[in-house]
Amino acid sequence: MSRHARKPKPRRARTTLVLLRLYIVAGAPNSVQAIANLDAICQEHLKGAYKLEVVDILEHPQRALDEGVLVTPSLAKLSPRPAANVVGNLSDKSKVMLALGLGDKVQ
Amino acid sequence: MTRPPPPAKGAPMQHALPRLAKDGPEHRAIEAGEIDAIVDHASSNVILLPAARRARELAGLAAGATPASEASVANQLLAALPHAEYQQLHRGLERVTLKSRAVLHEPGAPILEVYFPIDCVVCLMASVETGQVLEVGLVGHEGMVGISLVLGVEISSVRALVQAGGAAMRMKAARFQKALSCCLPLQRALYRYAYAKLALARQSAACSRFHALEARLARCLLMTGERVPSEEFFLTQAFLADMLGVRRATVNQAATALQQRHLIGYRRGHVRILDRAGLEAAACRCYTRIEGAQVAA
Repeated sequence: MSRHARKPKPRRARTTLVLLRLYIVAGAPNSVQAIANLDAICQEHLKGAYKLEVVDILEHPQRALDEGVLVTPSLAKLSPRPAANVVGNLSDKSKVMLALGLGDKVQ
Repeated sequence: MTRPPPPAKGAPMQHALPRLAKDGPEHRAIEAGEIDAIVDHASSNVILLPAARRARELAGLAAGATPASEASVANQLLAALPHAEYQQLHRGLERVTLKSRAVLHEPGAPILEVYFPIDCVVCLMASVETGQVLEVGLVGHEGMVGISLVLGVEISSVRALVQAGGAAMRMKAARFQKALSCCLPLQRALYRYAYAKLALARQSAACSRFHALEARLARCLLMTGERVPSEEFFLTQAFLADMLGVRRATVNQAATALQQRHLIGYRRGHVRILDRAGLEAAACRCYTRIEGAQVAA
């Protein structure tokens, strides 16, 4: 072995960006609640390492049809894999955390 | 071959429901009252459930006429209420658009209406006899304007001035007080919020006395940025001078310094946060304390 063995370079910590899509109906109570619930969970546990797209299905009904949405509010975790879905107003925090892949942080 | 009869008018939901798996999560969520709409793939229709339809009608939203951006934020105090209580309160709420610089409450005047901001920001300002003013609180989608009503005081002690225009839910003060007296979850949420506002005012007082203007300006911009839907917002130097209780020229110097450090972009009142982490580092620690009190409450 050479005396000048190369030291492994310290790797920069890489945070995985979580891609989320929330299908809602603007102004409807469960959708309003789902947005707030998701926002609170993301801010607490993902701290900026996420990207959320909110899709109003009354504005974009074709997307709801093309993307296989059955009901709203409906949350889709697109990446990282595995993909996951949660429906309802997202008030069940542990269910949302599991879907987001944060199951180990559920208290 | 006979074609199946078309679904009866007025009962599309009953026809769409059987298409969802009976033991599936969608069915369970509908039964729990957590669903606003069903997408019926067979008829390519979006079917609004009655509660969602009523809520949209009350908010003045026609089916399919709402820009998605309007739905991307909501008032957190209202959204955190349990479903039944929210429905009860919702009847007295009216969606309004507030213009920048509009005065909602004046010091010494009775509070006639309360506001739950959605994507607007309201600045609470205290004044002294010489006419000089200072920001003592900022209210956005996390809060409510007119919080003294919760504590039984019907007169405003501050001027509530709209800093960034946008949507809010408005409610008559009398109706709000009535709703508050019979809605325990709302009471709890608003008492906690009132505490957070008190903590903010205390911290602001200390901050104004001891911290450098550049750090205070950074805090002010971060707090505004937290409450608006984008990283860009409109804040004139005159407004910032009022908020920080200094002269306009002094604000200009501090804003230029932040700009030179590439933390913000500032041009003719348009502020853009370029480096949030850097701006947080430049802000005084009051920022984390104030926002922390908000979260803890």
